[in-house]
Amino acid sequence: MLSRVADSLYWMARYAERAEHGARLLRVRLEAMVEQGDIESSEGWRRMLYALADLDPDDPAADPRDITYRVAFERTNQSSVISSIAAARDNARAVRELISSEMWEQINRQYLRLTNLDFDFVWSSNPAQTFIDIGDGIWFFQGITHSTMRHGEGFDFIELGTYIERAQLIARLLDVYLSPPQDDGPKFATPGYFDWISLLKQCTGFEAYAKVYTAQIAWRKIADFLIFDPEFPHSIRFAVDKVQSALEQIAPGAPQSRRAAIARMAGRMKASVDFGSIDEVVQGGIAPFLTSIQKQCEAIHTAVYTTYISYGLEDVLER
Amino acid sequence: MSTDERALDQELDEPPEQEAAGRFARPGLDEPFDAYVLDHTFDECFLPNRWSRPHYAPLHELLSSLPVEEIQRRQLACEQSFLHQGITFTVYGDSKATEKIIPTDLLPRIITGAEWDAVERGLKQRIKALNLFLKDIYHDARVVKDGIIPGDLVFGAKHFRNEMVGVEVPLGAYVSVCGTDLIRNEAGEFVVLEDNLRVPSGVSYMLANREVVRRAFPSVFRQSRVRPVEAYPQMLLETLRSLAPAGRENPRIVLLTPGVFNSAYYEHTFLARQMGIELVEGRDLLVHDGFVCMRTTSGLERVDVIYRRIDDDFADPLVFRKDSVLGVPGMFEAYTKGKVVVANAFGNGVADDKAVYAYVPRLIKYYLGEDAILQNVETYLCREPSALNHVLANLDKLVVKAVGESGGYGMLVGPHASEAERAAFGEKVKADPDNYIAQPTISLSRAPCFIEGKFEARHIDLRPFILTGAETQVVPGGLTRVALRRGSLVVNSSQGGGSKDTWVLAD
Repeated sequence: MLSRVADSLYWMARYAERAEHGARLLRVRLEAMVEQGDIESSEGWRRMLYALADLDPDDPAADPRDITYRVAFERTNQSSVISSIAAARDNARAVRELISSEMWEQINRQYLRLTNLDFDFVWSSNPAQTFIDIGDGIWFFQGITHSTMRHGEGFDFIELGTYIERAQLIARLLDVYLSPPQDDGPKFATPGYFDWISLLKQCTGFEAYAKVYTAQIAWRKIADFLIFDPEFPHSIRFAVDKVQSALEQIAPGAPQSRRAAIARMAGRMKASVDFGSIDEVVQGGIAPFLTSIQKQCEAIHTAVYTTYISYGLEDVLER
Repeated sequence: MSTDERALDQELDEPPEQEAAGRFARPGLDEPFDAYVLDHTFDECFLPNRWSRPHYAPLHELLSSLPVEEIQRRQLACEQSFLHQGITFTVYGDSKATEKIIPTDLLPRIITGAEWDAVERGLKQRIKALNLFLKDIYHDARVVKDGIIPGDLVFGAKHFRNEMVGVEVPLGAYVSVCGTDLIRNEAGEFVVLEDNLRVPSGVSYMLANREVVRRAFPSVFRQSRVRPVEAYPQMLLETLRSLAPAGRENPRIVLLTPGVFNSAYYEHTFLARQMGIELVEGRDLLVHDGFVCMRTTSGLERVDVIYRRIDDDFADPLVFRKDSVLGVPGMFEAYTKGKVVVANAFGNGVADDKAVYAYVPRLIKYYLGEDAILQNVETYLCREPSALNHVLANLDKLVVKAVGESGGYGMLVGPHASEAERAAFGEKVKADPDNYIAQPTISLSRAPCFIEGKFEARHIDLRPFILTGAETQVVPGGLTRVALRRGSLVVNSSQGGGSKDTWVLAD
C-alpha cells in the first residue's frame, strides 16, 4: 500500500483514539465532581490536566470550566478533543478513497457536530452527557471501521495507530496515579478510594476489574489489572500485544531484512508485559517501567516511519 | 400585478383545455410558479404559451401539487447528504474553517432522447477532429501548411508545448477525457461555447446530483425513463486501460491529484474509489530506472497509466515549472519514451484556446470532410483588423475574452460592465489584439430552479463528458451548471454558480 496512505490511516486512528480518551477522562471527571468536595475535586482536575496535556496542572487561573474548555474545545491546544477529531478527519479525508463511506461520514458528522456546539450551552446544561456522546461517536467510528473496512494492511496500520496511542495514554495516566512524586514534576495528594474508582472508570475498567478482583479496591491489584490483564482492552498488555500483531502483518512484501529490527523491538516490549509481574515492577519502580513503555512505543513509531513510510530511494536500493 | 391585470393576462393566455390548467401551475401566474418570468431566452421547461413542454410534464405536474414545505424538506435532505459526504469547498480566511457545499438545485434539467442523440453525434465528431488536429500539429502540421489555420496562432499559443513535438501518443488519444461546454441559443439549438481538453472536472457532481435527485423524485424519475450515468467510472477505467503500454497485462493505473487542498479533491477521491485505483500525489511517485514508480510500504511498484488531474505546468519540474512541488521529476521523459502513459496528454491546451476554437468547424471539415453537427458561437478574432474594429465599436454588446484563460477569468461582459470598465478593457484589447476574441452576448437558456420557496428561471449550460481510448464514448447528459444569481450568465462554480442533475430520456 502507498506509504502516504499508511501514514494517514495510522494518524487517523491515533487521533481518534486520543479524542476518545480525552472525552472519556472529561466525562468521568465531570461526573465525579458532582459528588466530591472542593479539595478532592481540584486534585482530580489537576491529575486529569497532567495526564491529558502538557498543561501546567498548578495554573491558579484554571477552574473546572476553564480546564474543560481548554482540554476539549480549544483549537489552539493541539491535543484538545476538538483538535484531535479535526486531525483524525483531515487524515480520513486524505484517504477518502480508501476508507469506507460509512467511516468517513461518521467521523465527518462527529466533527461537524462538535464544531456546532456552543460551549456556554454545553457547560450550563449537561456537560458530562456531551462527552458521553462524543466518546460514543468515536466508538461508533471505530466499530464502523471494524465492520466495513477490509481487514488488510490498511486496517493493520489503523490497529497499530490505535494501540500505540492507547498504550502511551494509559501508561501516562497510570503514571499520574501510581508513581511517587518526582523532584521536577508536579505533586499530587495520595489517591483515595474515590480516586481509584475514578481511575478504573477512566480506563472503562471498573466493571471488568470487579469481575476479576470483586469490588475490592487495592492499588496493587488495580495496577496489576491495568498493566497486565491479557484480556482487558484498555490494559497496557492488551495494547502492546495488538501493536506487536499489527506489526507482523504490515508491509508483507518488504524483505525480511527490513522488517527484522522492528519485529525485535515489538517482541521485546511484548515480552516485558507478557512475562512481567506487578511485584517485579513495584520492586524496580513503577515510574521507570511506565516511562520505558512510552519510550519503546516512540521508538517503534520512529522505526516504522524510517522503514515503511518516509524511506528514500537509496534505502530500497542498498538492500 | 393587480387582480384586473392578472385576469386580463389570464384571458390572453388561457390554455384551451380547462382541465389541464387546474393540474398545472402556469409560470408567472399560479403559485408556486408565480415568480417565474418567461422572456426572450429559450426556456427548457415552458413553451411561450406557458404550457410545459411534454418531456417536462410529469415533473411540472408534481411541482404544481407538492406543498412548498415538502420541496424545501427534500432540498434540505439533499444539502445534508452533500455535507455529510464532504462534497464541500473550504471558505478561506475563516478561523472556524467553515465548509460550504457546492450549491445544488433539486430540480432536474431534462433533455429528450432525440435531441441528445444529435448532440452525442456532434460531440464525437468534434473530439475526433480535435484529436487529429493535436496529432497533426505535434507532427507534420499539415493543417498549417495547407493554410487552414495560421501557424503563429498555433505555435504561438500560450499552451503549445514544444516538448510534445514528435512524441507518440497511444491510439492518438490526446484528449482521453473531455468536457465540452454547450449552451442553448434563443432558437433552442445546442451550440459549443468552449472545449476543455486539459483537466476537465465536474463529473463527480454529475454523479452526486443524480444520487440525491433520484431519491428526491423517485416516481417522476421512473416515469420519465432516464438514461443511467452511473457507468461513468467503469467507462473511464476501460478508457485508461486501453491506453496502457503494450505487454502490460495487468496495468497499474493511478489517479494523480495535486492533493487535499485542491478544490476538486473530492472528485479525485470519488473517482479513485469508484474505479478502485490508487489515488496518488506527486510525492508518492518517483522515477527509477526510467520507470515511474510509487512508494509503498513494501517498496517501489511500477505505474503504467497516470490519470493526472494536475496541470501541465505542475506535472514535472524538470520540464515545466521548476518551482512545482506537486509534480514528479522525470515523469515527462518516462512518458516520451513510452514507459508510462499520462492522460490527458501534455500540450492539449493549444486546442481549447479561444482563438483556435473559432477554427474548429473548419478543422472538422478538413480532417473528416464533414460539416460540423454542433455549431460554434459566432466569434470575432481580434487579430483580424476588421473584426477588431467591430469589437471596439460594439463593446457594449459583446463578451470579450482573453484566449488561453478559463473559469470566467480575464473576460468582459459588455452589457453588464460600466462605461469605465469597458474603456479600460478596450485599451487592453488594443494593446494586445492577438490575445482576445469576442462573441455576441449569448443567451443561455433557462430552467426552473427552487429558490427561497419559489420556482424561478435561471440561466444554465451543459458540460457533457466525452471519453476516448480504443473508442469514443459519451455519458448521457453531463453536468448542468446554473447561474444561481438572478439574471447572471456566469455559471462557473468559482463565481457563484451551482449545478443540477441532467436527465436524458430514453426516447
